[in-house]
Amino acid sequence: MSKRYRQWVKEYQDQAWTVARYILKDAQEAEDATQEAFVKLWNNRDNVDPERVQAWLMKVTRNGCLDRLRRRRDNVEFDESYMTGDISGPMQDVATNETREWLKRAIASLKEPYRSLVVLRDVNQHSYEEVAGILELNLAQVKTYLHRARKQLREQLAEVRP
Amino acid sequence: MNEYDDKWEDRINALMDGELSATDAELLKTQASDDHDLACAIIEAYQLQQAMGAIHVERAPDSLRKRLRAIPRKHRPAPAFSLLQPRWAMALAALPLVVIAVSLMRPDTPSASEIAQARQELAIAFAYLDKAKLITGREIESSVGQTMADAVTDSVNRAIKSQNLNSKEKEA
Repeated sequence: MSKRYRQWVKEYQDQAWTVARYILKDAQEAEDATQEAFVKLWNNRDNVDPERVQAWLMKVTRNGCLDRLRRRRDNVEFDESYMTGDISGPMQDVATNETREWLKRAIASLKEPYRSLVVLRDVNQHSYEEVAGILELNLAQVKTYLHRARKQLREQLAEVRP
Repeated sequence: MNEYDDKWEDRINALMDGELSATDAELLKTQASDDHDLACAIIEAYQLQQAMGAIHVERAPDSLRKRLRAIPRKHRPAPAFSLLQPRWAMALAALPLVVIAVSLMRPDTPSASEIAQARQELAIAFAYLDKAKLITGREIESSVGQTMADAVTDSVNRAIKSQNLNSKEKEA
């Protein structure tokens, strides 16, 4: 069983970490949230359908991150400036690296569930069906929300591009 | 596409996802040639897709990798019984106290050797009393006759028997 768990860690740790990193925007907290999700996976290893481990883990990771965000807001320690960070400033002659970093911040600044949708579908490359399962939405909702999220990003990107 | 149009938005996304049929793609192209905003939206969608292509799943830091590998070791199921478990350790520590408390609460019961010694002492006492009874009887008989002697020795006998009975009850 431990061997199977190690295999799951190997396959999914980067994806879970990416989801946590984008949602929480804090490396230390993202590590804690990812670890919590894997502890839950370990404790439920006999109950989780091996075919659905990836979706299960992404859902648990995302829910854990959202709980942490709620607690942050309750503690009035949430850094709102990060959410409304300067992502639309003048960026003449944007290099690829800078565009990438800008886009990461733009994705992180999206509201839920748009942010998770973009991370799961466009960054982690899950299928629409998998995203629907993880976020507990139907396929039509996934497409509609994702289109809105992409449109937001597109418009922001158009503003900063020469 | 001056106003947001879900229909075109769906088609642009389908185009990006490679899910647009040839007919719909042609229709979109025709429409875009006449609609500057739609054309811009398609170009922006391509630019976003390109930028997205540069974003990949991030590698989890080594510190996290280490923490995740350690989970099975740190979250082993607790054994059903172990003297090292806190509750059992506490129970063991409390055991001498319980023994002392019980021994303090218990009524004083003599040991077997004490009972044997008491029986021996009682037997000696009764033998002495029997001897005393005979002597007393003879003395009374010689001075006041057999009837009087019997009356006195009977009362002495009853007293001895009563004593004997009490002793046995206590012993039991």
